[in-house]
Amino acid sequence: MKPIMAIAATTVGEAIRRRVLLVILLVGLFFVMAAPGLSVLSARQELTVLKSLVLGVIQLTSAVIAIVLTVYMLPNEIERRTIYTILSKPVLRWQFLVGKYLGAVAALGIMMSLMTVVMLLMFVIQVQVRDFNRLSELVQGPAMFFVQMSLLAAVGIFFSTFVSPLVNFFLTGGIYMMGSLFNPMFETMASNPNMSGFAKNAAWLVNAMLPNFADFNIQNRIINPESVIQNPMVHYMNLTVYGLIYIAVLLIAGILVFDRREV
Amino acid sequence: MGSAIVTNSLTKSYRTRAGQVNVVDALSLEVEEGEIFGFLGPNGAGKTTTIKMLLGIIYPTSGEGYVLGKEIGDIEVHKVISYLPERPYYYEHMTGLELLKFYASLFGIKDEAKCRDLLEKVNLHNDMTKAISQYSKGMQQRVGLAQSLLNDPKLLFLDEPTAGLDPIAHTEIRNLILSFRDEGRTVFISSHELSEVERICDRVAIINHGIIVAQGRLDDLLRGGRIEIIADEVSAALADDLRGKLKDATVSHHEGRLIVDMAEDSDQNAIFDAIRTAKGKVVSIIPRRKRLEDIFVESVKAKKGEKPGGAA
Repeated sequence: MKPIMAIAATTVGEAIRRRVLLVILLVGLFFVMAAPGLSVLSARQELTVLKSLVLGVIQLTSAVIAIVLTVYMLPNEIERRTIYTILSKPVLRWQFLVGKYLGAVAALGIMMSLMTVVMLLMFVIQVQVRDFNRLSELVQGPAMFFVQMSLLAAVGIFFSTFVSPLVNFFLTGGIYMMGSLFNPMFETMASNPNMSGFAKNAAWLVNAMLPNFADFNIQNRIINPESVIQNPMVHYMNLTVYGLIYIAVLLIAGILVFDRREV
Repeated sequence: MGSAIVTNSLTKSYRTRAGQVNVVDALSLEVEEGEIFGFLGPNGAGKTTTIKMLLGIIYPTSGEGYVLGKEIGDIEVHKVISYLPERPYYYEHMTGLELLKFYASLFGIKDEAKCRDLLEKVNLHNDMTKAISQYSKGMQQRVGLAQSLLNDPKLLFLDEPTAGLDPIAHTEIRNLILSFRDEGRTVFISSHELSEVERICDRVAIINHGIIVAQGRLDDLLRGGRIEIIADEVSAALADDLRGKLKDATVSHHEGRLIVDMAEDSDQNAIFDAIRTAKGKVVSIIPRRKRLEDIFVESVKAKKGEKPGGAA
């Protein structure tokens, strides 16, 4: 466990110093703070749109950070030869990969926490939202995004064990887009009685294989309190367990590939 | 003394468009415990590939290898070996001390005093709180050596440890490596800086295109040098006489000066006797020891063209 934690801590140290990530984070923070100035709607609509806008900014910024952070993670270690010094110590490859992943997730957590704190301050100071329950409900959005981004980071780490950073960028980005936008479509196709058996099965398979990023997007519930989830805690727990299982599968697959890879 | 490293027909092949290339081809060598072993070869000869195989970082295509009695890749061995890669890069945001603490944590070592001691040993005690990004090449190499000593290794793999360093840093690193032998450690150095290797290694192996072309004790390999004898006031007749008698020697004569270039193990006394008898004066005797560079060039040239392909 010690090597994993040491590698994770080093990964965090490196990640929070990477200029490209800091620039993306700063852009995200800027839009979170500037969001109230961008809305020109009525008071009721304004708050609804503002929540949607801010959560959207946090989600998009986090996704870009997760992808940029993970696609270069292993290739950089190999290119700079830092991996050789580490693997020549009593460190197994799976420990190295898991350490890198946990470090990436921790770095994501730090950056997302910062964005969430700025979001809360913005709502408290600029929009005068002082109700604790409403504020705590707002935090649920970024909390689920964190699970979503942890899953996205696992996708990025998995592909980084065998493809180049550029290819990985498009693969991970593409899977995130598909998993966010098209999963509901494949779900509908799989249960459509008018579709042929083959098409239904294919749609079901794609739906089952693709990580379901869309489900983590709970901002609609925050924005539209009418669409009530019966038991939010159970719902969030289920989502988290789904995310963790998917992450475990991706990491195991990544370890199997990385274990035989020539570095 | 046992063997620190043994390889039997260790081979690493890659498939290329031109077909299969053996980057390391049936490598068999033995490194004894407590010696400094030089692994020499031109760029792309297969030196780094061999080290990576011995460290278990890449996998051999065929053959077998043992490091400190255990099969290569055995993680237990990694507790008692260390590696300094060629032109290493370290996490630049860390200070020298932080870097050592990080590597120490990979061994489960929490001893900060040990990290400080090692940095002192490599003369970085005044710079241990500086960021690695501010270190010169020589300082980075020294911090690399310090990290390689964290686990008190029995065997050190040093890949081009003096590459790109200035003469002062060269000397510092050389002295450190010599101190490792004094401490009873085995050192496996990959290099193409032959003068450096000649100064510190006990035995060497020369690899070219993945094949060992020469190996042995340095003294044995360097045996068979030449000697130059210069004498004045010598007649041309004596020079002609010596030319006739000495088949494996170059004899020149100009304005009474005789220069004889002959094999080190030839009968030198016979020459001195002949010069003295002819009333000549011996002015200098210059032994020209065979250099590692000569052996290296001879070995590499001898095999040139026999095996295509190359490695990192």
